[in-house]
Amino acid sequence: MMKNISKKGNKRPLIKDIRRDKWLYIFLTPIMAYFVIFKYLPMLGTIMAFQNFKFSTGFFESEWVGLEHFKRLFTGKNFYMILRNTLLLNAGSVLFGFPVPIILAIFLNEVKSRTFKKVTQSIMYLPHFMSWVVLGGILIGLLSPSSGIINHILKNVFGIQPIYFMGSRFWWPITFIISGIWQGAGWGTIIYLAAITGIDPQLYEAARIDGAGKLKQIRYVTLPCLKSTIVVMLILRMGSMMDVGFEQVYVMMNPAVRDVSEVISTYVYRVGIEGAQYSYTTAIGLFQSAVSCILVYTTNRISKKVNGEGLW
Amino acid sequence: MAKQVKKAVKVKKSLEEKIFLVVVYVVLTLFTICALYPFLYVLAVSFSSSRAVGAGEVVLWPVEFNVEAYNQLLLDGQIFASMKNTILLTVVGTFLNLVTTTLAAYSLSKRNLRGRKIFVGMIVFTMLFSGGMIPNFVLIKSLKLMNTYTGLWLMGLISTYNLIVMKTFFEGVPESLSEAAAIDGANEPTILCRVILPVSKPVIATMVLFYAVGWWNNYFNPMLYLSSTTKFPMMVKLKQMLDTAKMIEVSSSEGLVQTTVAAETFKAASIMVVTLPIICVYPFLQKYFVKGAMIGSVKG
Repeated sequence: MMKNISKKGNKRPLIKDIRRDKWLYIFLTPIMAYFVIFKYLPMLGTIMAFQNFKFSTGFFESEWVGLEHFKRLFTGKNFYMILRNTLLLNAGSVLFGFPVPIILAIFLNEVKSRTFKKVTQSIMYLPHFMSWVVLGGILIGLLSPSSGIINHILKNVFGIQPIYFMGSRFWWPITFIISGIWQGAGWGTIIYLAAITGIDPQLYEAARIDGAGKLKQIRYVTLPCLKSTIVVMLILRMGSMMDVGFEQVYVMMNPAVRDVSEVISTYVYRVGIEGAQYSYTTAIGLFQSAVSCILVYTTNRISKKVNGEGLW
Repeated sequence: MAKQVKKAVKVKKSLEEKIFLVVVYVVLTLFTICALYPFLYVLAVSFSSSRAVGAGEVVLWPVEFNVEAYNQLLLDGQIFASMKNTILLTVVGTFLNLVTTTLAAYSLSKRNLRGRKIFVGMIVFTMLFSGGMIPNFVLIKSLKLMNTYTGLWLMGLISTYNLIVMKTFFEGVPESLSEAAAIDGANEPTILCRVILPVSKPVIATMVLFYAVGWWNNYFNPMLYLSSTTKFPMMVKLKQMLDTAKMIEVSSSEGLVQTTVAAETFKAASIMVVTLPIICVYPFLQKYFVKGAMIGSVKG
């Protein structure tokens, strides 16, 4: 530990500061070591995308194969399936899911009754604290074609034949998107509510004097004030366009809908971990990271041009 | 009365505003009901007879109330055995999280710490990039940490997001507090324990909750890194049980229909057992969660 400290103090004026903060450096040393080993080493480890990594030969002895895995990736038809599913599920989630917390937050802000507000918020946040295993289990029970209540209602009240929500290639993505909203939209309101609270009340006052009703106040005061928050959230969301949460898909997936539900993360798990094709799936991960970077960068550029503001 | 007079003055706007308010309350109520109903349904199913569930009679209240499914769970015992594992993982994991996150956040909250920018940069960078599933797996396997809780604890030692939240909080603590203690000759560990931590109770509560819920719900890492069933935490066990029940359903022939529906109440009961602890503490602790999310969002 002491070695580490003196290494950083190679410039003379620093020594005093370092001696003063020696405890802070003692605190930080194991933590930075942790970050190097458990975060940065795996990043370096992505090099194995250019190898034929095997545990028997290890990282240093494994055979180098250049772009072999990438070639296999881009020519295989599985790749286009998982890429399409990942992008479509994300696009659907953004299109239908992204506006929901914004609308809910604006609505919550209009509620005068404190009890009503508290109760609705508490219930809305609840699914966020549940594991997807639990949420998935609940959904499967609820939507089951044989015993689920939804299909019973559809049959008895509307006379509709049971719908295989989890087993139909049409309904599965819809169920996926709605369950994502169920889990995340309530919790997502917090950030917008915080932003709304920060709006200067004088702006509303001025709008009211100008004769603006509630709707116009929202249109001309609330939304413009929320714009920068919305833009930041959207850019951050773009960064995860290539990434569909593993657990949500994994618990909702079944063989009947594999070709619309297999996404990058589940494919990497199935082929990489279960199939032990470490290098090939690392290549997929690398491709995924690269595209995410480009997406964040591009959205940021577009946002800067259109709105004059971005993340950086 | 005074309110009514005020309203009367704004007669023109009131219709539009009334309609809008109605829409607001209706939408929020509907969303809330939709968010809550699935939980109530599972609760009702878990206490109902399998016949009533199969016939679609269970809507909101248990029909033909019984605790057969819970008896079955107790007899089976697996979920409770795995609950012990989850508690161990959660308690030790959260403690380790708390110690490391506090030390890191406190050190990095000192503005005149040399190299602070580099350290913060290195840490924030890991939020944007990660090696991904396979390199992490290879690392854990190479370190011989497969099938150990140590591996899981190390994988989840620090959440960068929580670290930033805590650092932001510490930055808001007046420096005069620690300066006064420093003049009295206290060293950093003493200042941290005696001065800073006592005024940081809300953020510590938030951290404990975020981390503890994370461990409690953790599914992916245990599934990936644990192989012996006796070590499985609750969520992995629950997933296994749900899958077994699903398989029975898929292969259900005439003779199996009864078991299928029995499986439905059994599934519901196991979901309730796993979720109950969170639902019990949730109403009391909710404000700390929200506080944490707020601190985080101000920074973001």
